[in-house]
Amino acid sequence: MDMYAVRTLRSQPLRLLLTIGGIALCIVLMLFLLAVYRGVADGSVEYIRQNRADLWVLQDNATNILRGSSLLSLDQINAIAQAPGVRTAAPVLFLLSTVRKGNKVGTVFLTGFEPEKGLGGPPQLVRGRSPRADDEIVLDRSFARKFGFEMGEEVDLQGRPLKIVGISRGTNAFVIQYAFVTLRFARKLIGVPGLATCVLVNAEPGAGIEPIREEVCEVLAGLAAYDQETFLANNVREMRSGFLPLLYTVAIIGAIVLTAILSLLLSVNILERRKDFAILKTLGSPLAFLWGMVIKQALLIASVSCAAALVLFFPLVRVIERLSPEVTTISTGGQIGGVVAAVLLLSLASSGVAIRRLRRIYFLEAFS
Amino acid sequence: MNGSDTPGPVVGLEKVTKIFNGSGHPTAAVREVSLEARRGEMVLLLGPSGSGKTTLLTLVAGLTRPTSGSISLFGRSVEAYSAAELQALRAARIGFVFQTFLLIDSLTAAENIEIVLRFNGKRRADRAAKTRALLEELGIGYLAGRFPRSMSQGEKQRVAIARAVANDAELLIADEPTGSLETRQAVDIITLLHGQARTRNATVIVASHDLRLKEFADRTLRLHDGMLAPG
Repeated sequence: MDMYAVRTLRSQPLRLLLTIGGIALCIVLMLFLLAVYRGVADGSVEYIRQNRADLWVLQDNATNILRGSSLLSLDQINAIAQAPGVRTAAPVLFLLSTVRKGNKVGTVFLTGFEPEKGLGGPPQLVRGRSPRADDEIVLDRSFARKFGFEMGEEVDLQGRPLKIVGISRGTNAFVIQYAFVTLRFARKLIGVPGLATCVLVNAEPGAGIEPIREEVCEVLAGLAAYDQETFLANNVREMRSGFLPLLYTVAIIGAIVLTAILSLLLSVNILERRKDFAILKTLGSPLAFLWGMVIKQALLIASVSCAAALVLFFPLVRVIERLSPEVTTISTGGQIGGVVAAVLLLSLASSGVAIRRLRRIYFLEAFS
Repeated sequence: MNGSDTPGPVVGLEKVTKIFNGSGHPTAAVREVSLEARRGEMVLLLGPSGSGKTTLLTLVAGLTRPTSGSISLFGRSVEAYSAAELQALRAARIGFVFQTFLLIDSLTAAENIEIVLRFNGKRRADRAAKTRALLEELGIGYLAGRFPRSMSQGEKQRVAIARAVANDAELLIADEPTGSLETRQAVDIITLLHGQARTRNATVIVASHDLRLKEFADRTLRLHDGMLAPG
């Protein structure tokens, strides 16, 4: 690294420290948003990803379970189950409900499923087992941690006592968390027998899913059937449409602040050292050499800031997850590498802004 | 192109005028100046403050363009050089010594010299060797690792001279090189500059108001109100 580039930065240690701190916090913000996004993405669609069905059947016009409204009648569910080539038809009912214990109350995305069908239950269990009886419930890990619900405890769900028999993961959709009960219990809650939100269908071995889809969609009017990939994509798209604009907005603000801070430091540095730059120009410095110094400074600050951000990030995430258990974050090497690459690119953009000032430094300033 | 191959003057000015348009009031800093400096020659531009000496030096070095007249540098019109060629010329063939030394504060003496060698694309090992040799030659090897803030005025100017000759410059341009020095140091410095120029057969153009420099110059030209005075 160029000694001039390094020493001029070090000559104002407090300013340098504040700059690195500011940029590091912007990087932490970006890393955190990405980690939350991954956590939400995982929690929102992991249920669908893990419950592999050949077809997801819903009421027509409902393309997803996150923000779609679908109700299937018992007749429709039975007709789906009896369609040619269907091996398993597992109805699932989604409801919004509240879990209560004493003064602790939390809203859950209650998922009623038939345990014996082996479809529609919790995607991953970190403790315990799936519900088998109507007085059992599985709660999401973040939800349980947030409200202090423990395995084996009894909770109240709309006046009905339920025992916590399992804790799940991949079921935290940030704004709400999944909870799992038997379908029979869920139906009792709404008081309408035979209803379901969707049916998960698996075909007989060797049977194609297209004939089943045709049977469901054409013979049984008012239904839509999606294969696993399409249904997953529908839900991912729905999740992104609700969350990504916010993520992008905050991330862009972070990037702008980062670029502004770095541009400001580099520009002030050039203005304070304009006589040095005028001397170097007079002595025959190629413009590329001066640009190179500014770019090296930008990259150096960005690199140190990235390192500082990584040191801060993981302990900070642990603190946030402890304070707000509903915040589930997932950080990968790819995410971190992407943010570091973006920050280095932004630092180049910052140096570009600062470099423009070099053009306005004149030879004669060396003689003044 | 190499100046040593050029039989004509290293620097040639023909009726050069430079007018600055500050605040809408045109001021002629240099008027109708004609001069030549040949290889190995030391030309002293003697004149009081504000007589146009520094402007003349910047014109000679191709740092500013004349309002009228023509300037040749190493046998070629300055107008014919592109900005990149002039930059390369300053890096490789012209050395500068300033009144206030103008060393880079955040670099050591050795780094102040090396940075100029970098402009010519010299390799790191060559730069270090050349810098070391030059500092020893000028008797200031002990200053190599020191920063300008810890040097005396005389030491700073010695380092500045080392920087000016580092690229074996064929043309040395010195603006009041003794202006910030006491008498004893001033004599030492001009002796050193003169000696270095002689050793390298370099052309030196010195702008100063210091009459003591006359005895070192091959030619003295008096500048007054931007014009060369007769005699």
